[in-house]
Amino acid sequence: MADKIRIGVFVCDCGSNIAGYLDVKELAEYAKTLPNVVYVKENLYTCSESGINEIKDAIGKENLNRVVVASCTPRTHEPLFRGTCGEGGLNPYLFEMVNIRDQCSWVHMQERERGTDKAKDLIRMGVAKAALLEPQEPIQSQMNPNALVIGGGISGMTAALALANRGYETTLVEKSPQLGGLLLRLDKLAPSDMDAATFANQQAELVKKHPKIHLLTSAEVDAVAGYIGHFNVFARTADGEENFDVGVIVVATGAQVLQPTGMYGYDGKTVINQLELEERFKAGTFSAQNVVMIQCVGARNEERKYCSRICCMVAIKNAIAIKELSPSTGVRILYRDIQAYGMENEALFQKAKELGVLFIKYDPNHPPRVESDKVMVQHHLLGRELALPQDLVVLSTPLIAGEDNETISKLLRVTLDENKFFLEGHVKLKPLDFATDGIYLCGNAHYPATAREAISQALGAASRASIPLSKGVMTAEPIVSTLVDEDACRGCGLCVALCPYGALEIQHTEKGRKVKVIPVACKGCGVCAATCYQHALSINSYTDQQVTEQIKAFLRG
Amino acid sequence: MQYSTDIRIIRLMCTGRVDPTMLADAFLEGADGVVVVGCHFGDCHYISGNYQAKVKVGLATRALDYAGLNPERISFSQCSSAEGDRFVSIITGFDQKIKEMGPLGSADRLPLPKLTEKIAIAKTALGKEKLRWVVGKFTEFTTTGNKYGEKFTDHEMWRTLDTIVMDELATFEILSEMQKAPAAVKDLAARLELPPPHVLKYVLALQRRGIVSLAGIEGNSPLYQVAEKSAQQTAHAA
Amino acid sequence: MEQVSGEVGAFKATIRKKARYVNQDLCTGCGSCAEKCPTMVVDAYNAGMGKRKAIYKYFPQGIPSVFTIDAPECRQLGQGKKCGVCAKVCQAKAIDFDQKDAIIEIEAGAIILATGYDVFDPSVIPEYGYTTINNVVTALEFERLLSASGPTAGHLDRPSDLLMEKDLEEGEKEVKKLARQVKSLEDKHGKTSADVVAAVKSGSAAVDDELIQWAQAAEKLAALEERVATLQKKTAAVQTAKKLAFIQCVGSRDFRFNRFCSSYCCMHSVKEAMIANEHDNAVNSSIFCMDLRAVGRGFEEYKLRGGKQANIKYVRGRVAEITEDEANNPIVWYESTTTQKVEHETFDMVVLATACVPTEGTAKVAELFGVELESNGFFKTHPLAPLNTTRPGIFTCGCAQGPMDIPESVAQASSAAARAAEVVAPLATVEKQKAVG
Repeated sequence: MADKIRIGVFVCDCGSNIAGYLDVKELAEYAKTLPNVVYVKENLYTCSESGINEIKDAIGKENLNRVVVASCTPRTHEPLFRGTCGEGGLNPYLFEMVNIRDQCSWVHMQERERGTDKAKDLIRMGVAKAALLEPQEPIQSQMNPNALVIGGGISGMTAALALANRGYETTLVEKSPQLGGLLLRLDKLAPSDMDAATFANQQAELVKKHPKIHLLTSAEVDAVAGYIGHFNVFARTADGEENFDVGVIVVATGAQVLQPTGMYGYDGKTVINQLELEERFKAGTFSAQNVVMIQCVGARNEERKYCSRICCMVAIKNAIAIKELSPSTGVRILYRDIQAYGMENEALFQKAKELGVLFIKYDPNHPPRVESDKVMVQHHLLGRELALPQDLVVLSTPLIAGEDNETISKLLRVTLDENKFFLEGHVKLKPLDFATDGIYLCGNAHYPATAREAISQALGAASRASIPLSKGVMTAEPIVSTLVDEDACRGCGLCVALCPYGALEIQHTEKGRKVKVIPVACKGCGVCAATCYQHALSINSYTDQQVTEQIKAFLRG
Repeated sequence: MQYSTDIRIIRLMCTGRVDPTMLADAFLEGADGVVVVGCHFGDCHYISGNYQAKVKVGLATRALDYAGLNPERISFSQCSSAEGDRFVSIITGFDQKIKEMGPLGSADRLPLPKLTEKIAIAKTALGKEKLRWVVGKFTEFTTTGNKYGEKFTDHEMWRTLDTIVMDELATFEILSEMQKAPAAVKDLAARLELPPPHVLKYVLALQRRGIVSLAGIEGNSPLYQVAEKSAQQTAHAA
Repeated sequence: MEQVSGEVGAFKATIRKKARYVNQDLCTGCGSCAEKCPTMVVDAYNAGMGKRKAIYKYFPQGIPSVFTIDAPECRQLGQGKKCGVCAKVCQAKAIDFDQKDAIIEIEAGAIILATGYDVFDPSVIPEYGYTTINNVVTALEFERLLSASGPTAGHLDRPSDLLMEKDLEEGEKEVKKLARQVKSLEDKHGKTSADVVAAVKSGSAAVDDELIQWAQAAEKLAALEERVATLQKKTAAVQTAKKLAFIQCVGSRDFRFNRFCSSYCCMHSVKEAMIANEHDNAVNSSIFCMDLRAVGRGFEEYKLRGGKQANIKYVRGRVAEITEDEANNPIVWYESTTTQKVEHETFDMVVLATACVPTEGTAKVAELFGVELESNGFFKTHPLAPLNTTRPGIFTCGCAQGPMDIPESVAQASSAAARAAEVVAPLATVEKQKAVG
């Protein structure tokens, strides 16, 4: 016989984030009238140490067996409060969170009364669900201690070296025959003045020699199955297919330079892009008396809205190189905004100006026109059109997403942004993680970056990846599918076919064909439960009954 | 970022969890509208849950439409967690539409409480094998095809589902009527507002499966009842 | 930090843990001490715009949730007076006036310097009027004004109006006091104040000291009442700020102060202008900038959206001067690059996007740890080894090595951890652990 349900409700003021817009006193009074609620407390900040202590104390003193916190979003605070319940001696899954900040106070700032009424409904719904919650135990599984890094540019090499230096067997898969990526085609790196290819090759040597790195060049990842701790990877190489298991994956697939075909008379000869200019530096074939560079070619427009972050600095770096190579050569940079963010970049910008590089701002509504020996541009200060002499035009084009990004995103089931760059899990809090556990990203695959930024991100991604690797055992949320009515299951396999994680399988039991859940692979999406016509499967903490009771609590209240 | 106070959010891990019966439940309890908001297609945090949600919400919409609900009361939308503005516009647009329609029963084919009775029957049908099986096979039949290699278009699948929805709702309504008292086909036909030959077809099908049995003759008409043996099984069968 | 010795793999650090005069283990963070503490102190967390007590938590969600006594401000500790109210009300018996600084020694294989940055003090640019014009604030101060947990609960009350309200409050108090005084005199002598004032003025007989004082008080009262009435009228007409100016590169990209670009301020200003507009759709903003540097994912799009949906105008040009009109409205003088003339525009408030500068103690920290600084005074790193300081085993991340935004700082924190881990848990160690495990 189950114990009598005793629910404690904690209503958070969130300082004035909630209390400034809702009548929190009234909410607390209201919560006391709800079925099974035996204790209600209003906190200035439920998440503060004192709020946390109040929950823990109340669990003991009031003999609570369910806790409801009406505060902010479970996205940020559910783990904290679950932990609190655990520390207070209550199973962490006997906890329900009601979001009266994001769903009430923040979005109904001008409607105190109606916002408060809504918050009452939400608390009533949460309490109704809480009464039906059942204890759950976290799922544990062993981690495969190896890593996969996709991409052998500076980011991929740096990440692989960092992981291998920590002692993790790392497979590095590079599509082309050679390590180094985009750096191989560049001249010098700014501001270090290091030769890009030399630097890339130095790193490549370290990678090749490292006993913990298994290098696959001219190779592509073909298929990936599994989940954090247990990825099974098929990589196609020149010699055939390799199949191996890893625990984590780092995506460092880089980006490509936009070819400005059809723009400003691009011909690869007298109108070239910055990459081709650097190739001329490398080959020693650069010669020109008047160079005009045009920024934002194919970027910050309707088709490609984004700013590619690095092209201004590439132009400045190359303008300085021209001035150092041939001081008499005139260099004019036509720009919209000079994106020389930070210390080193701004210093280079100043240096270019000191060397006599001219910067002329243009209006995207009146873009420059390239003519046979000059570039016409509307000068925004003088208010008239200038004719700039030129015998070489260099177009600064953005980095665009790698051509394989869509394929890789499907293989790994990770997200791309609207420009097909890989999208991190959270812009501020998880800049190097994907939303999917065990997969990380860095460098140009994520967004255009300088070498300094790419290296920094690669080390960071390796660091993030090494967290689960170093734990050896992975603990997962138990909010997963469960076979709640084995007798009802007919072993039809409808759910198995629809499970996106391969987390269900049919097995033969004494009672015949029955479905079996692999909890560590299950993410709790609930497709199986919503599909089963025998209602034999359910999702922990999201059962049919729990959802139905929430609906009833709202509409009957 | 402000929106109407008239919505209440029920959190699910993924719209893939949305059971068609949950939508019926909401209207049974008197909701004026239900909007299911999930990830963008191709961008589902749970990989494909939103595709499953789309067919399940589609099925529920058809069944509830057939039961007399204005299908505009259900909306299936996409919005990522980074698109607060989009969420607001989805909610604001839906809220406006619902307010124009007025409360449940006012812009629907049937008024309350008749509508609620029919929704209850739709809910039963949505919980049962036939509809759930077909909707569960939707993706397979439209992408890889059935076991004979026949591939169907979405349109064909929905047409098939429409027919099954009609049959299932009629069947469960007949059973529901018979549970009150043994009934003749022509009375059932009048109550269901269906042609008597259609009703006869459903009754005979039920009789063949042993779910319905002959209770007696009244005048010239045979009276049917829910078979005693199957009265309990009815909950699971059909 | 008091002292660092040793080398990579085996550093020894001596740390002074300052006395907080509250026993950390006993304090529950309930706050009854701060409720009863009689001493009000200017609140640094709210950028000096609010008040806190002498026993305080820096901000409400602070970790650990333990109170601290601001010793120099405390009556008992700082001013030698008898007080001890906090100790009396503390049920946890956590107040410890005798607490001393503690010296802690730790051993570490690697060190990460993550000491952050300071905000540039704009008072050294007198032409921007930061110290003289109330409605000119820094971006960080504006952030507090926008915050729902800030001094104005998120309403854009102008600092000059807040001061006026305070002035009114004090005036009203004074009026009450004087009125009571005058009234008691009237009651005592059975004369009206007007008669007394007239009598004193006309120099008629029987004017004694008391009458003179009475007359003075009555006149003062009348003057004060008039002032209060004016203030009341003014405050009644006060509106929250609707028209904002953001001035970029205050102390950055400026040869007089810092040559570098502070990297995050352009987006910070766009964000603040967006939020201000979200709070109140009537708010419109002008951002005065040289270049609007929106270089991260979605930044350019965000900037454009601000222009289209949040009434943000991007004005190219450097602001020369900020003056003030009679209604405390700041006037921004700038050279318009479109008309090439000096123009001016009046705003309700001006926000200065101040530079990101090395923390005051950076040089001291550098000396203590034996690492070099670069020319701007941040910790020196190499472009191709971006987390390494000049000393092996010591790493740095975030704004301590130069201006950067939050995602970059968060990413760098992980990177620095990777570097430190290579030192403290290198290959061999992991192998050993595996063998043991």
